[in-house]
Amino acid sequence: MKRLLLAATLALAAQTAHADEIRVLNWQGYGTDIDWAVKEFAEKTGNTVVHEYFTSEQEMLTKLRTNPGAYDVVLVNSAYTAQAADEGLIAPIDTAKIKNFSDLDPKLTGTEALNPKGKLFGVPWTWGLTALAVNTNDFPEPPTSLSVLWDPQWKGRVSIRDDGLEAVQFGALALGQDMDNITDLSAIKAKLAELMPQITTFWSSENEWNQAMASGEFAVATYWSGSAARSISKGLPIAFVVPKEGAVGWLDSLAVPAASKHKDAAHAFIDWMVDPAFYVKWDAEGAPVSSNTKAIAALPDDSFNKKLVADPATVSRVHFFKPVSDADRETYLKLWQDLKAAQ
Amino acid sequence: MTGKVLGIVGRVYLALILFFLYAPILVMAAMSFNASEFYQLPFAYSGEWYERLWSNRAILSAAWRSIWIAFVVTGIATALGTAAAIALFRYDFPGKKVLRALLFPPIAIPWLIIGTAMLIFFFGIGLGRGTPTVIIGHVALALPYVIVIVSARLATFDATLEEAARVLGASPWQVTKRVTVPWILPGIVAGGLLAFAVSFDQFVVSYFLSEPGDATLPVLIYTSIRKGFTPEINAISTLIIAVSMSVMLLAARYSNFGGER
Amino acid sequence: MASAILRRDRLRALTLLSPAYLWLTVAIFLPLSAMVFFSVLTDVPFGDREWHLTAGNYQAFLETGTYARLLWKSLQLGATVTALSVLIGFPCAYVLAKVVRGRSREALFLLVVLPFWSNSLVRIFSWAIVLRGNGVLDRAVNAVLPWPVKLNLMYSQSAIVIGLVHSYLPYVILTSYLALQAIDDSLIEAARSLGAKRLTILRRLILPLSMPGLVAGAVLIFVPVVGSFMEPRLLGGRLGTYYGTLIEDQFVAVFNWPLGAALSFILLAVVLVILGLASPILRKARL
Repeated sequence: MKRLLLAATLALAAQTAHADEIRVLNWQGYGTDIDWAVKEFAEKTGNTVVHEYFTSEQEMLTKLRTNPGAYDVVLVNSAYTAQAADEGLIAPIDTAKIKNFSDLDPKLTGTEALNPKGKLFGVPWTWGLTALAVNTNDFPEPPTSLSVLWDPQWKGRVSIRDDGLEAVQFGALALGQDMDNITDLSAIKAKLAELMPQITTFWSSENEWNQAMASGEFAVATYWSGSAARSISKGLPIAFVVPKEGAVGWLDSLAVPAASKHKDAAHAFIDWMVDPAFYVKWDAEGAPVSSNTKAIAALPDDSFNKKLVADPATVSRVHFFKPVSDADRETYLKLWQDLKAAQ
Repeated sequence: MTGKVLGIVGRVYLALILFFLYAPILVMAAMSFNASEFYQLPFAYSGEWYERLWSNRAILSAAWRSIWIAFVVTGIATALGTAAAIALFRYDFPGKKVLRALLFPPIAIPWLIIGTAMLIFFFGIGLGRGTPTVIIGHVALALPYVIVIVSARLATFDATLEEAARVLGASPWQVTKRVTVPWILPGIVAGGLLAFAVSFDQFVVSYFLSEPGDATLPVLIYTSIRKGFTPEINAISTLIIAVSMSVMLLAARYSNFGGER
Repeated sequence: MASAILRRDRLRALTLLSPAYLWLTVAIFLPLSAMVFFSVLTDVPFGDREWHLTAGNYQAFLETGTYARLLWKSLQLGATVTALSVLIGFPCAYVLAKVVRGRSREALFLLVVLPFWSNSLVRIFSWAIVLRGNGVLDRAVNAVLPWPVKLNLMYSQSAIVIGLVHSYLPYVILTSYLALQAIDDSLIEAARSLGAKRLTILRRLILPLSMPGLVAGAVLIFVPVVGSFMEPRLLGGRLGTYYGTLIEDQFVAVFNWPLGAALSFILLAVVLVILGLASPILRKARL
């Protein structure tokens, strides 16, 4: 009886000590806002989670700039970590508060992109590739090279994402240039100009991509690995291909805004997000690759992500791009707009 | 005789236009009953999306928030807009043309820019964010539409009627209430309907200015840009259209705002 | 005496106008003036970003052919959509105002706006389902015609125009209806009994009297269509780059608010100049 009482008081104390509402800023439908995940977190810590969403990285930064103190956890793509840290929008992570930290892939936690000023400004959460996905009805044998995008056979059934930076990166890959250190931008522009007549539309959302693939409008298109996993699990006849020229790798981190008022709860939430127990369940619904090596090991053998990571050839072809300066971004956007406007 | 033929041709034409206007709405409704999450054809019936919608608290509460905000916005914008339109019609004063021209910036400038501008300004003056701020923004965006539409109706109004009423001893308020407003009622109704539509579909202002967790339906839909929305959105949209259609048809049955004389 | 009335009238006008215009000032004009300020800066004045005054954002429009070309393309799109909407919408408004009688008129009047109480993104996606190859339209046509046709309107200029006409048609129907319905039937009867032909009545009586409504509708269509970006982007595919998408990119893809703001004020100026130039012609048409 006494012990029960004690437990009850302890639980109550734990409740009152941690009964915070934390606010998470993320893409909609991207892991943090899954019902069961939020519920389990609330059961474990007593903290509730409220979400707000952004529709582009620029808007994420705008929201952080104009709403100091409004958010406690924010998803920051590693390409933007340095900028956010420079502007004082996000705070260094207290790794001692992340119990799972020792299980995270050291290559990811140590990456330069997440460690501006020598401090970790975001816990690596997930990574994935932007590569190709093909309709298996059109491709009984999946292609091996990026050149399939330029193949006249698929004219009018090709799509890439409406994103200047990504277009330039794929152009660089196709030409064998280093995407972090582009030497011949005009060659990339010419290569992309050749691609334009091939294209049916530029996709912008997963849902749009799935519809176009399902209705047969796309035969081959660029796609995110996590989304491909989800589409396959929903029964779309597609295959994900990492071409021999390489693929664009991206890394998403969870960061704590500098002005957050619930930093402890925020760290606890991030810890839950890199927990194998969370990830294994999320992976079954279609997820990108976890940064937690133990989480990957815990996946069933037929999991899309486990197979993806297990193939050393794939991993060696992934190129994680370095942060891109504002000036370069604008140059690429201008190039992209010029190409599109000429259509 | 030719009059009768014209009448039939006219009605057929009207039906065709209505079909065009409702084509995507019909497709939207059909897809809410289609089993395929990717809106794939051929059609296969499923009630799954409505079942899922029922347990999706996020969508239901967002839809409810959108509806009541739109009602508040419609009320305020229609009242203020009608008053302004009457003043612009009735009185002559310097700067009237400028005031009319000022109605166009909110319509011409893409809402992304207006939304961003509001965000910066409202934060600058310390108004912060929340539902009141959202309503302030929506009303401002709906006002020009109400003013332009009510003005279009007023332009057909015979000003001598007002004068006659005044000569007969009616106060300006009585003139407005008894003569002007009944005449322009169809315009006010049309303006109100569009104000509702403007608020109900407004994304950027709500997106920048609502509190976390207080999303409206458009915010929920547009922020799903990366993953995209599911047919649950079709289901809730279909329900909203079906309910508003019944309410409106009932209203049409028992009231007279089409200007029938 | 006369000046006293004038003063009282002005006071009344002020009372009626000030709520609406104060509201617009606080929520639109003041925020937009912040944007006007940004449009002449090199960078937004946030945090410790470096900025100074410049006319460069406006010069960029003149120096880069792309921007002007896209604005021209958007103006053409605006003109096409407006013209089509007027041609389709005016007869519809006429039928509604002068042919249909009784309660059903009220119901039809409401039905014209109702589709717009749904989300525009959902509507555009629904159009995609209709227009794409193997979509609803393709299947419907093939079900009717005995020989197979391949019909794929998606990702084309036509798709953009269809989507935009659909979105904006109700404006011109409603405003034209409001004007047409106000024309007294006895006027038309009188003209007819005096032996005027149908076409003469339309040209000399109905069109001039309904012009204010027609013009208001056309303006409410033309102005937003020139800056539209969602329909072009989603329905136009490869061809869907317009002036509106250009502006959107400056905010969404890169953080160049000054250029985005400058481009939108150029849009506003051009639209206002066009409306200004058109207004004497339109006023003449009313006579």
